Amino acid sequence: MEQKLIRVENLEKLYQDNGVPVRALHDISLSIGQGEFSAIAGPSGSGKTTLLNLIGALDKPTNGAIFFEGEDLSSKTKKELSSLRLHRLGFVFQAYNLIPVLSALENVEFAMMLLGIPDRERNRRAMATMEELGIAELAHKRPNQMSGGQQQRAAVARAIVTNPSVVLADEPTANLDSVTAHGLIELMERMNKEKNITFIFSSHDQQVLEHARRILVLKDGTLVDEINK
Amino acid sequence: MRLTTVAWRNVWRNKRRSIVILVSIMVGVIATVLMDTLSRGMIFQILDNQIRSHVSHLQIHRKGFRDNPVIQATIPDADRVEDALKNVRGIASSTPRVLTYGLISSATNSSGIFLLGVDHDREKNVTTINKSLLAGEYLSGKPNEAVIGEALAEKLGVGLGDRIVAMASAVDGHVGSDVFRIVGLFETFSSEFDKSTIYIPLASAQSMLTIGDRVSEFALIMSDLERLPAIQKSLKEQLGDGYEVFTYGEILPLLLAQIDMYDQSMFIFYGIIGIALIFGIINTMLMSVFERIHEFGVLKAIGMPDSRLLMMVLLEALHLGIIGTALGFAIGYALYLPLSHTGLDLRMFSDGLRSFGVGAIIYPVLTWGSVVNALFIIPFVSVIGALYPAMRAARLTPVSAIRHV
Repeated sequence: MEQKLIRVENLEKLYQDNGVPVRALHDISLSIGQGEFSAIAGPSGSGKTTLLNLIGALDKPTNGAIFFEGEDLSSKTKKELSSLRLHRLGFVFQAYNLIPVLSALENVEFAMMLLGIPDRERNRRAMATMEELGIAELAHKRPNQMSGGQQQRAAVARAIVTNPSVVLADEPTANLDSVTAHGLIELMERMNKEKNITFIFSSHDQQVLEHARRILVLKDGTLVDEINK
Repeated sequence: MRLTTVAWRNVWRNKRRSIVILVSIMVGVIATVLMDTLSRGMIFQILDNQIRSHVSHLQIHRKGFRDNPVIQATIPDADRVEDALKNVRGIASSTPRVLTYGLISSATNSSGIFLLGVDHDREKNVTTINKSLLAGEYLSGKPNEAVIGEALAEKLGVGLGDRIVAMASAVDGHVGSDVFRIVGLFETFSSEFDKSTIYIPLASAQSMLTIGDRVSEFALIMSDLERLPAIQKSLKEQLGDGYEVFTYGEILPLLLAQIDMYDQSMFIFYGIIGIALIFGIINTMLMSVFERIHEFGVLKAIGMPDSRLLMMVLLEALHLGIIGTALGFAIGYALYLPLSHTGLDLRMFSDGLRSFGVGAIIYPVLTWGSVVNALFIIPFVSVIGALYPAMRAARLTPVSAIRHV
């Protein structure tokens, strides 16, 4: 049987909210293969972000296990998880989260700098990625000089430039108008097809969800439905 | 792009805050530079005054003279010493002296004194007594001339041209005495020295004390102070057991201990400045870190290791420390430079300063030690001050940091 890229088993996450335990996720089991273009859907508070954070090794589950490329994430140290995120994962956030003191090009280069990739190679790859995403002319602009859509494209460029196995995008189009949102999702789709990067994004926007080939539906922290197209 | 570039740009996110901390660092460094150079100048002046007014760099006596400076303990063979001096490289000048304690009397008063019989020509090249005259002239070589301190003259109620009687134990135990005419009045940096010292011609001293052509001491000035230990060793070897050869350090151990203590006390001063600055840096960096918790979460999500995040915050503090120190040192040096030529006029405190052997005008002295301390201590303190905020940043969990508003 083909080993899945990501496997989640009986995942549970409890938060403490002013001393009151809140169950964000309950008994989630799923798997995601290489090259998938999947969405996590559900209303606000359904646990979409929590699930993405756990898969992305940004948080630890209360119970259950997450396997990435066959390895149990709970067995990894902080340093190993950090390395995993750097080498194998990419993140796109709702609020873009570009580093304000860096230009678009420098933001895209940042992860490669952490990987120790030499200046020239870094620059070449960053510019190539930005050209693919249609934002090469913004290379030297700071985030506050770019529109929301442009910033989000730069964020996608940052996420994919290191050739990760998986890009996790948490509500990537939430702050964009519908046209720009549509354009961004199409862009992510193209990257998925051309580079075989697995995309897992969360959204409650139906227009965006239509692009996903698989939709995992959450409600009140539970996986209630799975739609394969 | 390097991490240091990111750190540099982060420093200028909040220009006002960074400028405030920079100014406080600069003020600290300026204060340190001026305090260090002025204090060091004062210490060096005290030492130089002692050396140049009387002590000199090296003194040669008969063995045991320093412990018991009696007139009987004259140098066994002055010619042998003169020959030895010719064989040693690095001696700029030397002079023979007769030294004894005695009494000086005028018509109205008397005082215990330190009597110095000097070769007037050679003494000029070893001490600066000839340049310290307030009135009259230096010894000309004529017999029975005397140059005394102005303070001593005042005490005795005498002036230029007046006669005084000097008395001291002669070599055979009888009291030797003679009359001297005051030809000059001097004032040095030490009021104590001025009140207690009289210079007379070497021949007059030798005659009064019936010691023939013998002398008590040879005083030497080096042309190369680095060679002092080697010269001392060479003279000891040449002269042998019957002689003692002392450096100024051995003659003035208390003063040198004071200089050492000064170096220690400067570290305390640096420490106080450092502690004052460290709290400002901690506060600045904590605010800077607190404002960026969300961004740090994003950086951790991207995969930035905790150690790199820590390094980035430390680099920010280091940038502030280095820039503040460089600017502070530049200004401090710009203030020091003219002062090193004109000196700091402290004439209003001259009486008090003279009791310590310091002149009324202090010339600051900048040493390599001062430069190193000023340039390295503050940046080091900046990094130490940033450690706690940097560790706070590094310990953030990604998800809680990203959620931080």
